Amino acid sequence: MANLKDIKRKIGSVSNTQKTTRAMKLVSTAKLRRAEELARRSKVFAQRTNDVIVELAGQIECLKVGGIDNRFFKSCEDAKMVDIIFVTADKGLCGGFNMQTIKAVRKLLTASKEKKTKVRLRGIGKKGIEYFSFNQIQMLDEVIGLSSAPDMDRAAEFMNSSIADFKDGSVDEVYIVYNGFKNMLAQELHVSKILPVDTTGFDCEESSKSSLIEIEAEDSEKMLDSLVTKYAQYNLYYALIDSVAAEHSARMQAMDAATNNAKEMVKTLKVAYNKARQEAITTELIEIISGVESMK
Amino acid sequence: MDSLKLEIVTPTGVIYDGVALEVTLPGSEGEFGVLPRHSSLSTLLKAGVIDVLREDKSIESILINWGHVNVNEHGVTVLADGAVALSGSSGSMAEVLESAKKLLKDVSESKMALASVSAKIDSISRVG
Repeated sequence: MANLKDIKRKIGSVSNTQKTTRAMKLVSTAKLRRAEELARRSKVFAQRTNDVIVELAGQIECLKVGGIDNRFFKSCEDAKMVDIIFVTADKGLCGGFNMQTIKAVRKLLTASKEKKTKVRLRGIGKKGIEYFSFNQIQMLDEVIGLSSAPDMDRAAEFMNSSIADFKDGSVDEVYIVYNGFKNMLAQELHVSKILPVDTTGFDCEESSKSSLIEIEAEDSEKMLDSLVTKYAQYNLYYALIDSVAAEHSARMQAMDAATNNAKEMVKTLKVAYNKARQEAITTELIEIISGVESMK
Repeated sequence: MDSLKLEIVTPTGVIYDGVALEVTLPGSEGEFGVLPRHSSLSTLLKAGVIDVLREDKSIESILINWGHVNVNEHGVTVLADGAVALSGSSGSMAEVLESAKKLLKDVSESKMALASVSAKIDSISRVG
């Protein structure tokens, strides 16, 4: 028979937890709205950059004999060195959000081990970094604080070292792994190959038809270089924004579930409390009555 | 009168989306102007100022630190890395100059670009 006071204390603590989780949910809701807006506005840039790159690449492909002779566009059959950039949150309490990304990264690691490819892991976000350093998996880069506050400049700086290594040939492929926003209830895991740029979707006919731009092949290659760099940098930035939105939606859900659980718990505790109270009263009454009886 | 459709896009959003009579752009090989029905063209932009002559004949100046422009039959599309509106912004000149400096900090030829920007801001403030 639990003590009345104990139960009361427990009810107090659970309802306090409930208040906290509810507050966290509200905060995440507000932040999610902001992150979503940011991602939406940013998407225009992605579309335009994509259009231009497709167009330029298509043009060069058509104009130049032998297609594009550029490292950015050559798909690598047997990559010897792969950069994996993963983005996780800096904070926990958001359900399986971080774990999903980590699992995907692990899968990539095992896959590349089988293929005997060397992997360089570059981490953004405290949770993922903590996980990998706990498991003693070497990381090349560790950035904390960027995933909770996405910033184009810092993202670009981070990406630049990968791009530079890619250019001079020490890295053959660059992947970004992150958990993106799908809708309010679901997140979507993205494992995207950033470099080399996938050209399979480029339609030569289509692009030469749609525009009358005249460019010289040499000029355009320099342009393409500059654009692809921007494209890669931007992709990382977008991954960060998308990840923030997803993090908040995941946290919102997790906190909502926690609030409901706490509510449920308070309910059962209240029942237990009432039962205990009633029992205490009954015992007291029995004591009084038996006392009176014995005096007769 | 003829007009062209101008769009300036940065990773943080669309900065300018509207109709213009004339656009002057800081091309990588020199400044050039685009009028309506310009022939198709695609080039890189260096750090500098984009001047937009709007339909009401007012000029809007926007500073960029890197960019790419695509001119075609549909209009002018500028992809920029970072952008600061020099005229028409609500902040004081000092504030604008400060943010412009911040934007150009990382550009290699920043001293020249910054000088040209300050000259531009000067002229704008004198006119305005």
